[in-house]
Amino acid sequence: MKNISGASVVIKTLIEENVDVIFGYPGGAVLPIYDELFKQKKLRHILVRHEQAAVHAAEGYARSTGKVGVVLVTSGPGATNTVTGLTDAMMDSIPLVCISGQVPTHMIGNDAFQEADIVGITRPCTKHNYLVKDVSKLANAIHSAFYIAKNGRPGPVLVDIPKDIQTFKTKYLGKKKTKIISHYRPKLKPSLDQIDEFIKLLRKSNKPIFYIGGGIINSGSLASKNLYKLIKKTGFPCTQTLMGLGAYPTSDKQFIGMLGMHGTYEANLSMYNCDLMICLGARFDDRITGKVSGFSPKSKKIHFDIDASSFNKSVNVDLTVQGDLSKILSLIIKEIETKRINFEKKKIVGWWKQINKWRARDCLSYKNSNKIIKPQYALQRLDFLTSKFDPFITTEVGQHQMWAAQYLTFNKPKHWMTSGGLGTMGYGLPAAMGVQIAHPKGLVIDVAGEASILMNIQEMSTIKQYRLPVKIFILNNHYMGMVRQWQELLHGNRLSESYMDSLPDFVKLAESFGATGLRIERPGDVDDSIKEMIKIKGPVICDVVVDPNENCFPMIPSGSTHNQMLLGPNDKVDGEISEEGMVLV
Amino acid sequence: MNQKNTKHILSIMVDNEPGVLARVVGLFSGRGYNIESLSVSEVDSHKFLSRITIVTSGTKIIVNQIKAQLGKLIPVHNLVDISELDSFIGKELILIKLNVKNRSTYDLKKKLEGLEAKILVDNDSELIIQFTGSPDDINKIEKIIEPIKIIEKTRSGLVSMTTGTDYIKK
Repeated sequence: MKNISGASVVIKTLIEENVDVIFGYPGGAVLPIYDELFKQKKLRHILVRHEQAAVHAAEGYARSTGKVGVVLVTSGPGATNTVTGLTDAMMDSIPLVCISGQVPTHMIGNDAFQEADIVGITRPCTKHNYLVKDVSKLANAIHSAFYIAKNGRPGPVLVDIPKDIQTFKTKYLGKKKTKIISHYRPKLKPSLDQIDEFIKLLRKSNKPIFYIGGGIINSGSLASKNLYKLIKKTGFPCTQTLMGLGAYPTSDKQFIGMLGMHGTYEANLSMYNCDLMICLGARFDDRITGKVSGFSPKSKKIHFDIDASSFNKSVNVDLTVQGDLSKILSLIIKEIETKRINFEKKKIVGWWKQINKWRARDCLSYKNSNKIIKPQYALQRLDFLTSKFDPFITTEVGQHQMWAAQYLTFNKPKHWMTSGGLGTMGYGLPAAMGVQIAHPKGLVIDVAGEASILMNIQEMSTIKQYRLPVKIFILNNHYMGMVRQWQELLHGNRLSESYMDSLPDFVKLAESFGATGLRIERPGDVDDSIKEMIKIKGPVICDVVVDPNENCFPMIPSGSTHNQMLLGPNDKVDGEISEEGMVLV
Repeated sequence: MNQKNTKHILSIMVDNEPGVLARVVGLFSGRGYNIESLSVSEVDSHKFLSRITIVTSGTKIIVNQIKAQLGKLIPVHNLVDISELDSFIGKELILIKLNVKNRSTYDLKKKLEGLEAKILVDNDSELIIQFTGSPDDINKIEKIIEPIKIIEKTRSGLVSMTTGTDYIKK
């Protein structure tokens, strides 16, 4: 066996991990790895224009394929630029491996040029990280990184490789002969007793609800399939979190809308009034619960999750079941089928009647206009006109993101990529690039706001270079809309710094990057422009000028509970928002 | 809901690798948990394992979160909440340096005799005392010494193990 360089080990380990694409940006401390990249043909490298975008692109790639996303950056600023992306992936449980160059081992700690203690900096925002100081342990670190990233609750893992390690020689015997981390073995299977107890609770309930999170999507398509079976067998209603959209088809009758701060009236009231809450792969996040002390006061709660630290973190539950959701759901379905358990649909007739009453309130209705484009209308048309293409949707963060979640249809998992936990403006465009790389023929749309899109607008250059036909659908209201909405609601309508002045001409901007620019100003032009956008083979920026005053409803104001929703602009907060509520974000 | 703060002794078996202590300590500071004392040292030089003892306090919910979060750290092999087990021993070591210039140490030495304190250095100007015991014992001995000027002191933090068969595995 010939000795090979550390840089060569990096390439070989990546190939053995079935990596086909890397998102990255070269620099001094990773030159040996880039040199090895140059000499081979199995790995495709996508050159981004900013390292944050490399991480978001890898996230988009990972979320739309279920594979591990891979990032390659240099030391110092290259590495620190990944921090937002890594934190984003950590919060949303996205499997990534980020390889960063580092100054040579003998320079570490010397404040060398482009040195940053990236292992120290990313310790709290990665699932795990490695600084490789011995070339014979490099393969171990990289294979372990992939194992850790995708097993258990997924997350980002960083491997920091000093430049001298990249040039030192070592033996590489292949993945099978490399010892990887041995004691990290997440619990995947629950006990059958727990499954039996769960089924008993299902059969007793008169007012049940399934509360579905992104864990189902992370667990794979089998989890979604079995979830569908379970929901159909029980006849129960189901709601999904922002991260969970698409785990269960949102056009199905048993889906009663997203829940939480901008969730539907029927979903939130069902959560408030249910007697049994079945949480699958969600984490009782503060966007979901509202005021915790008033969260679903009358229900028994069951929580299924792979991560034990999600149990009883903010909300106390009655039964916790730890494990991989696809395994758990398979066991549940098997148990129901072998024991021929039937669920009495009669028991929940009253509950459905009540839910349908709430549904009749039609909380997502809005007053349309024939003079000015309502953002909701633009999205409804986008949804209608693109549905046959089975589009992949990414978003930035803000009002447009919530409207997209409310008005678009998600009938399949892995078609909806949005920054849920961290709320990263600038996520959507690079994420869309990653999705498009993974699905070259797919229709990929970044639903954006005019403020967010500017945060990673440099990626238009990447889009041009790789001829990525990404469609950027900007709901342009000239405001950081969600900031303004909160200022209206909580800060006496003092619109401090939330107006977006000096915006670029998005049509010219698109053209300067060889893309097509469209601008829609009248409701009557919406359909034709969307059709044109879809028809164009290359990238398009579609600048949709929408009503600047529109706000996102329903809304649970901070510090309130699920039964205290504001349903429209005429709804006012009952009295003053409490001081407790004012400090919440 | 149990809102009372209680004290817990966590014994954690971790890989002895660079940064492992930073991971544990960073988890506590980042999530706003308490560390009352901390002690760490390698206990298995073949498997490169260290044992960390952390004394912390919080409500039942918080302490359960602390344990779950620690359990998620990749280098953590095993974790036991020693204070939840039936019977355990907790010991700490203290070194105290006293200024004894121009004063008699006869009375002090007499008092220390029955207490298993060791005198490590004894000369005209200073006296260094080593004492091992439970945190309560250590507080007692500090009381006894109090009248004499303490130049410096250092404590090891608690180390702890259970009695019997309920022990932390590697």
